[in-house]
Amino acid sequence: MSDRDIVDTSLTDLSWLIAAKKISSVEAAGEALARLDQLEPQLNAFITVPREQAIARAKTADEEIASGDYRGPLHGVPVTIKDMFETVGVRTTGASKILIDWIPDRDSALVERLNTAGAIIIGKTNLDEFGHGGTSTLSHFGPVHNPWDIKRIAGGSSGGSAAAVAAGIGPLSYGTETGSSVRRPASYCGVTGFKPTFGIISRHGSFRGAWSQDHVGLFARSVQDIVLGLDPVAGYDVRDPASVQQETPQYGARLDGNVKGLKVAVLRKFLDSVTPEVKSAFEAAIKALAGAGCEIINFDIPELCYAAMTSNLTSSAESAGMNRRWFREHYRDFVPHVARGIAVGMAITASEYLTVQRARQRIREAVRAGYEKIDVIASPTTSRVAPLLAEGLRGNGDDTRHASTNHSNMLRFPSMLGLPGCSVPIGISPEGMPIGMQLIGKWFGDQTVLNTAAAFQSATDWHTHRPKI
Amino acid sequence: MELKEKHAHRVALLSAVELSPEELDAILGEIDDLERVVAELEEFGKDTPWISLQAQPAFPKDE
Repeated sequence: MSDRDIVDTSLTDLSWLIAAKKISSVEAAGEALARLDQLEPQLNAFITVPREQAIARAKTADEEIASGDYRGPLHGVPVTIKDMFETVGVRTTGASKILIDWIPDRDSALVERLNTAGAIIIGKTNLDEFGHGGTSTLSHFGPVHNPWDIKRIAGGSSGGSAAAVAAGIGPLSYGTETGSSVRRPASYCGVTGFKPTFGIISRHGSFRGAWSQDHVGLFARSVQDIVLGLDPVAGYDVRDPASVQQETPQYGARLDGNVKGLKVAVLRKFLDSVTPEVKSAFEAAIKALAGAGCEIINFDIPELCYAAMTSNLTSSAESAGMNRRWFREHYRDFVPHVARGIAVGMAITASEYLTVQRARQRIREAVRAGYEKIDVIASPTTSRVAPLLAEGLRGNGDDTRHASTNHSNMLRFPSMLGLPGCSVPIGISPEGMPIGMQLIGKWFGDQTVLNTAAAFQSATDWHTHRPKI
Repeated sequence: MELKEKHAHRVALLSAVELSPEELDAILGEIDDLERVVAELEEFGKDTPWISLQAQPAFPKDE
């Protein structure tokens, strides 16, 4: 197998090759690190690379597998994680100057589970400071560049994770999402991104953006790969108050592309703010879902016009609550735009926050009622392809300050309500940038979302396209 | 009335962090907008039951 082949190999195939001892974990990790070294000057996707630790753990994995002690699909596989997750002995910065030298003495729950599964963490990826942003340009370590066009953003806040998977630096990466920080970068970078229902993956030991909206999510090249990465890290954790007490899920075993009769809703009025090339790709994707057996329904949930402003104020207030001490002691060390956002959050009063939560409850109830008639909501993931870095923070085209049919509402409501969502590639724009579609399910409808995404990827090949970097 | 005067109670919430006049203007400008947003959401949510934030304590399932 050539080096390039390993870089292009899916998680599913790489996992099988390592288990079958066709290639070693040391080879796989070594090639991923070589790819990282080659591309990092262009992408700036990583903050810390624990190279020696990764190779040592890969050697251990090879020994374990050789002795018959195989732990499962992630054993010996090189993965990356957003630098939001604490790692024993490896610095954890949150892309902030405040923690530039901080080395935790504990692992986050995600890292514990990855270690138990035998995964090899080869790098900690770049992001917007503490997850506060949608561009991955608000990092103390500089902006992440998109592998499809390095003049463009990767999206945020988990931009380094999405860029790494798109560029072939490991087949799997873990990120976090408070507003849209998994789905947006997945769409901009042409990879599959999934965030489960709130509480499915423990957030213990990760920095918080906003406690009531924070999720752990993951990036891979296909839904088939996503479920391999999801199963080992999902499940109850007493240390996360939001963790859901349920049986250990087996999403991979239950992955089934039969979606005949599934009701997929399209909320057409939110397509008005979407660019023509994104709209065109989305219409084609909907046809593909119909071809797979889904029933496409034009639907409306008018209350969603208020979703972006409700989500934005909620996260603003909650992030200020969590950053109070650092705000007082390290105001000048924050990235200026992030500091300003926290300052605005600090000025929100308790009664205002609770008023916003009342609005959130109205939206939640409207969406719950809507899901009595439908199974999945489909929409473009983002209203446009990844904007140029030069367009700055407004390049995403978001409007989180007005009740409107702006697409930001479709992007923000799933995290605000804790719904499972998956972004899948659905096309390439005339300028050569990937376009994504998100599939949003009801609470604990994770399997339905994954199955729908799998059916789409069985019918199309957009997820197989790679950037020419 | 100047923004700073109008929002004196907000400025008091900023933990005595020393901000430049430009920074303060930018923050108070956003806060001005925030008050409009909260007013809209208050109207939008007015007939909705107040949510309970009480959470069940975490404990292992019965075997």
